[in-house]
Amino acid sequence: MKCLIFGYGYMGKIRYQALRNQPEVRFVNVVDPYVDPSTAELNGILIPANAEIPWEEFDAVLVCTPNNVTAELCVEGLNCCGRVFCEKPPGRSWEDFCRIAEAAERRPGHTLVFGFNHRLHPSVQAAKALIGEGGLGDVLYVKGTYGKSGGLRYRESWRSQPSVAGGGILLDQGIHMLDLFQLFLGRLTAVDAVLARSFWDCGLEDNAFVLLRSERGVPAFLHSSATLWKHTFRLEIGCRNGYLTASGLLSQTGSYGREQLIIGKRQFEDESLALGNPREEIIHFDRDESWDKEIQEFIAAIKEGRPAKHGTLEEARHVMELVRDIYAVSERSLSGRSL
Amino acid sequence: MWSIETDQTFPLSSVKPFDGLRAYRERCLAETKKALTAATRRRERSPITGSPLLPYGTLEGLDYLRCPDTGSIFLAELPSSAEWARLLSAVSRYRQSRETFHAEIAQTRHENVHHPKLEWIRSTLRMQQLERPAVLEVVTPPSDVTKLLTASGVFRDVMTVNEMDLVMQGPPAAHERYGAAMLFESLDRVDDPAALLQAVVDRLVPNGLIFITSLVCSGFDVAVLGLRNMYLYPPDRTNCFSLHGLERLLAAVGLMLLEVSTPGVLDLEIVDTHLRHDPTVVVSAFERQLMTADAETREAFQTFLQQHRMSSFSRMVGRKRA
Repeated sequence: MKCLIFGYGYMGKIRYQALRNQPEVRFVNVVDPYVDPSTAELNGILIPANAEIPWEEFDAVLVCTPNNVTAELCVEGLNCCGRVFCEKPPGRSWEDFCRIAEAAERRPGHTLVFGFNHRLHPSVQAAKALIGEGGLGDVLYVKGTYGKSGGLRYRESWRSQPSVAGGGILLDQGIHMLDLFQLFLGRLTAVDAVLARSFWDCGLEDNAFVLLRSERGVPAFLHSSATLWKHTFRLEIGCRNGYLTASGLLSQTGSYGREQLIIGKRQFEDESLALGNPREEIIHFDRDESWDKEIQEFIAAIKEGRPAKHGTLEEARHVMELVRDIYAVSERSLSGRSL
Repeated sequence: MWSIETDQTFPLSSVKPFDGLRAYRERCLAETKKALTAATRRRERSPITGSPLLPYGTLEGLDYLRCPDTGSIFLAELPSSAEWARLLSAVSRYRQSRETFHAEIAQTRHENVHHPKLEWIRSTLRMQQLERPAVLEVVTPPSDVTKLLTASGVFRDVMTVNEMDLVMQGPPAAHERYGAAMLFESLDRVDDPAALLQAVVDRLVPNGLIFITSLVCSGFDVAVLGLRNMYLYPPDRTNCFSLHGLERLLAAVGLMLLEVSTPGVLDLEIVDTHLRHDPTVVVSAFERQLMTADAETREAFQTFLQQHRMSSFSRMVGRKRA
């Protein structure tokens, strides 16, 4: 199998490595107009940006670009190759996403997978196995905090340019947490949202506080932030028989802390034990296979001619609808408050 | 791979009381010495790496040797496998009799030892999406937990086998295939732990899981007390692997490690108990300070041992590669 990656930034490099780990993948080419062609590691694999893409040579395309070209390249990839892996977010906006979805509809037998790798993080997978019949019972609420500090060059980054990024921290990072909420609760609706431009002053939200509700009425709350000076990932899931807290993330830099899952069991039936302070167990994880699993599934779906099991068009649709609605709700409540 | 930390606490007296242990330990040592009056063989090489074993020390007249690569320690002299099997059976029957402390604390051992193990297995099976596998329980019969396993509904079938028989049986029959296997301290007591592990792995289906618990010499109380540790004696602790040694042993038979944990809660209490019972036990000033520290400090240190895989109670989950 021969693959083509558009974009060789942070994510492109991760995807490149994940592809190299797959025995089925023989060769990977890269297109990135911002990469120096003399870069030793890309010798022989970088296709010049102005060259025509030899589409017939490629079995799959991975789009790891800034958001403003995501939709365009996904559509081109679907039209010319039919097998596309699209990094999140699936475009800058709902309209961008719809362009991708329509291109997919026009291409029967396509494979289209979106990169929502957080579903495959070990703490999240363990949490998923333990809720419901896994012992902890139905979910009562979900609360997530996901944030980063931005950094010295954050203002200059494409992520801070409204025309390129399309959205702020909610679309960039909060979208992962929204995807996880839907993994645990099913489809959600936006009840209320406050989006703030608190610090970075780049015309995009750097804090999002979002209240959501599932179809079964389960509440969820998200704080997505680009002003969390300590990088944070924390997902709390309250269940009938206990609770789970996933925190930290195995990442390349390790800046989110050691990935762990706290498992607590409701204990008030046994009043000899301290009320409100139940026994906890903590699972510490030290291997993140999410990138490899995601690419493995993409490759397997192509080979077996079947839809992928995760990162599907439907999942992407639901989360992009939610992002669209959150921006709308935020605007509405802002106008309401102004009045 | 993951590791597990727990804030479950229980006193040493509820699972292996020091005073009760002495009589049991003496009987174990006497039975071992009796078994060793028959023709013996000396272990020359590490069952983990094959390197020549080095002298480690003597425990009540019995030599222990050390694997130079992993720090694991092994009883030097062993009788024939048949004699060893007889010894393990005799000790197991004694443990199950009314004469030992085990009978007196059956209920607290159930709550603090057996039940948590079952919960551990149940959670792991859920996380690995393995539903009601047939399980191979590897023990020296009679087993403390067969009834619990059967009644739990976690397994489709529970097959209890004698660990020494398993090695001697040779290759498994076609029907001997299990989705999971458990070896609770089996590797600590058999005469050929590598062969036992291989025999169990041979009986697992691809992707089948193996659950192992073991006392490890890299854990705090064994590291501090060495062979003076009253909880270290043959035949129950004929082998005392380091955590790293145990990991290598599992990897050598083609297991992928999913969990490596040391969720022990008793390391500090064990050292403290030794110091109180035997004033001749010498520890460093650091260890002495730790033992006399306040409860909060001791608790934090025990948590640290769990978090960093440095307690002496270890447990592992391995998956047979497809």
